[in-house]
Amino acid sequence: MVNRLLATVLLAAVLATAALGGWAAPYDPTDPVAPPWQGSGPGHLLGTDALGRDVWSRVLSGGADLLAVSVTAALAASATGLAGGLAAGWLGGAADRVLTALTDLLLAVPSLLLALVAAIALPGPAAVVVATVCGGAPLTLRVVRDAVRAVRTTGYVEAARCRGESTAAIALREILPAMKGTVLADLGLRLVVAVQIASALNVLGFGTPPPEPDWALMLRENMAGVAMNPWAVAAPALALGLTTTALALSVYLATDRDPRATTSREDTRAGI
Amino acid sequence: MRGYEITGLSVADRDGRPIVGPVDLAVPSGGVAAVMGPSGGGKTSAVLAALDALPEGLRRVGGRVSWNGSVIRPGRSARRWRREHAGLLGQDPASDLHPLRTVTGLLLESPFDGSRAEHREAAHRILRRLGLDPAQVARRRPHELSGGQAQRVALARAVVGDPALLVLDEPTSGLDPEALERVLQVLGERRGAPGRATIVITHDRDFAERVADSVVALGDTPPERPGRRGPLLRVAEPGRPAALELRSLAVAAPGGGTVLLEGVDLGVRPGELVALTGPSGSGKSTLLRAVAGLHPSWTGSVSVAGQEVPHRVEERGRALLRAVQFVGQDPRAALHPSHRVGSALARPARVLLGSSRDQARESAVSLAAEVGLPAEALHRTPARLSGGQRQRAAIARALAAQPGVLLADEVTSALDGRTARHVLELLDALRADRGLAVLLATHDPAVAARADRVLRIERGGLVEAEAAVGAGRSTGGVPEATAVAAPGEGSPTRPERCR
Repeated sequence: MVNRLLATVLLAAVLATAALGGWAAPYDPTDPVAPPWQGSGPGHLLGTDALGRDVWSRVLSGGADLLAVSVTAALAASATGLAGGLAAGWLGGAADRVLTALTDLLLAVPSLLLALVAAIALPGPAAVVVATVCGGAPLTLRVVRDAVRAVRTTGYVEAARCRGESTAAIALREILPAMKGTVLADLGLRLVVAVQIASALNVLGFGTPPPEPDWALMLRENMAGVAMNPWAVAAPALALGLTTTALALSVYLATDRDPRATTSREDTRAGI
Repeated sequence: MRGYEITGLSVADRDGRPIVGPVDLAVPSGGVAAVMGPSGGGKTSAVLAALDALPEGLRRVGGRVSWNGSVIRPGRSARRWRREHAGLLGQDPASDLHPLRTVTGLLLESPFDGSRAEHREAAHRILRRLGLDPAQVARRRPHELSGGQAQRVALARAVVGDPALLVLDEPTSGLDPEALERVLQVLGERRGAPGRATIVITHDRDFAERVADSVVALGDTPPERPGRRGPLLRVAEPGRPAALELRSLAVAAPGGGTVLLEGVDLGVRPGELVALTGPSGSGKSTLLRAVAGLHPSWTGSVSVAGQEVPHRVEERGRALLRAVQFVGQDPRAALHPSHRVGSALARPARVLLGSSRDQARESAVSLAAEVGLPAEALHRTPARLSGGQRQRAAIARALAAQPGVLLADEVTSALDGRTARHVLELLDALRADRGLAVLLATHDPAVAARADRVLRIERGGLVEAEAAVGAGRSTGGVPEATAVAAPGEGSPTRPERCR
């Protein structure tokens, strides 16, 4: 059991840092403001890095791009897998065989390798999206396909067929709500994996170009001075960890509704 | 006291509103107790609470449960006790069976004292006693079993280990009379066996009286259904085409392969109720699903109001879809778990009748009243309805399309006697008012007795059963048992291939 309030606060903090951190930063994150490798102290909460830039300011402003790219990539992967899974599960036959074979092919390639190939061919953010979709969508597709096959013979789907609902209406009204939990749980995994891929590419230097602040890039830049100012490495690492946790919890918040909310609400859950 | 004892047990929902209780129930060693009550009365919840097997949203709020005098505390110890000493047959046995295991594998899931070979031997013995041939069914998986067969497999799984406490929740809902006798025999043996207690939850009074030493009634009786109850007036309309006509229909078994039914000729007139009976697994459901367009492997012709219908439901136009509505066997799967009942009832009017949102909502309210669903049920999801309420909602949804033909597959099997009677009365009223033709698959002779005609599936064909006696009810001007396919042909009251 996770405390809903704690989860909400953590998620809000991560989102607020990503959105507003740049404004809250006390110094310009790209300006050298003090001697290099200064430890934490007054004026510089987390000390400074190799070029004397304020680590706290860089941590505050270093998450926005990473978060935006990861969330976009995860949503794209989930949507692609969902669409493919619905098609494969509902249509069956040749469509199912082709889509399943394609996912097998993609799953046979390690996703970090895919990410590296994509990073060489495409600019940073696009590479993250492509790698997450190629690595994640096949997994989503398989889960969704099997869930659709289980649902398609239930009485409520048959009742929908018997009243002549269009395929789109059956998919959106009957099948998707029945698999909501599965799809959202899977989206949580896609989010976590997308953050991993995005930070891996940034650590390897394929992402954000150097003067810009970025948590993953900071890990690489500041490793050399970890003995002099440990915070320069620990702070961005902690930020990445908290962000991943918050994203995973956001899925929990979306799926596990407050039990008290279900009893008295009027008929709003599915429009007629 | 020796045996199983429940005292002062209550169940509440998560807002603390009482659902059932306090309940007292004592089953002596060697005894069989029946728990009866109307659907929605909390029969199942009370017993599940004692076993600590309540579904999410309900909790036990008090009471004491003991076995041979020692108290079973709620929580982990109750669950451990249940695993080790109790056999449980749920209300919806088909969905309790793991879809990928064979029948033998399912029976081997139960706890058993003895080697695996002995367990298998005992499993096959109990299958035979319940009227299932192990040579035929042992390697099948649940989707290859009919509703009645699945129910007996689940029952066999519950009794094979000879558990100290056996709890059966509506064990007879899908059974034909022959299978019912076999179940009674198997349960009869537990009677008087030392250290064995049996609880049967049922709405079938005859069954309860035959099987049990004591009967406990639970729950308040719901208020009589409001609404009209006029005399049944029906006009025979020989000029109009049959509402539903099947000609030389042959239906393949689900999953392909063998032919299940052949040479089926049948006409159902507007306003007529035709009951379809036969042993479980004979193809009653498959025939109805074929006509509904949900089981496309058939040959021959099906016409509705004189118009021939395509095989698959997707190929049928809106008028044909409206004309034929199907209500399935399993009320749990019939309703979408995340749609409220109100929107489920309003949707057919939106899609098939082109009603506005408000009209659809109003019709949902009146349909609910018509089938005896309380108004607050419209705001609930199916998980918060009882089994009987779900079935009534499923029937109401089919009626929302204002069909000419209703295909009803064992619609009363999940209902208690009073609710079943209301549903059948409702069908009578609809037949009289709208000329609704009903083709009803049932294993229950009492339900079949209400029909204008009873057809039996025998050896892969339809046979006219004994002319229905109409159960003392006026059948209006429709001549009994003459409304077979070709109007005006002889009187097939003697058993013959029906055409």
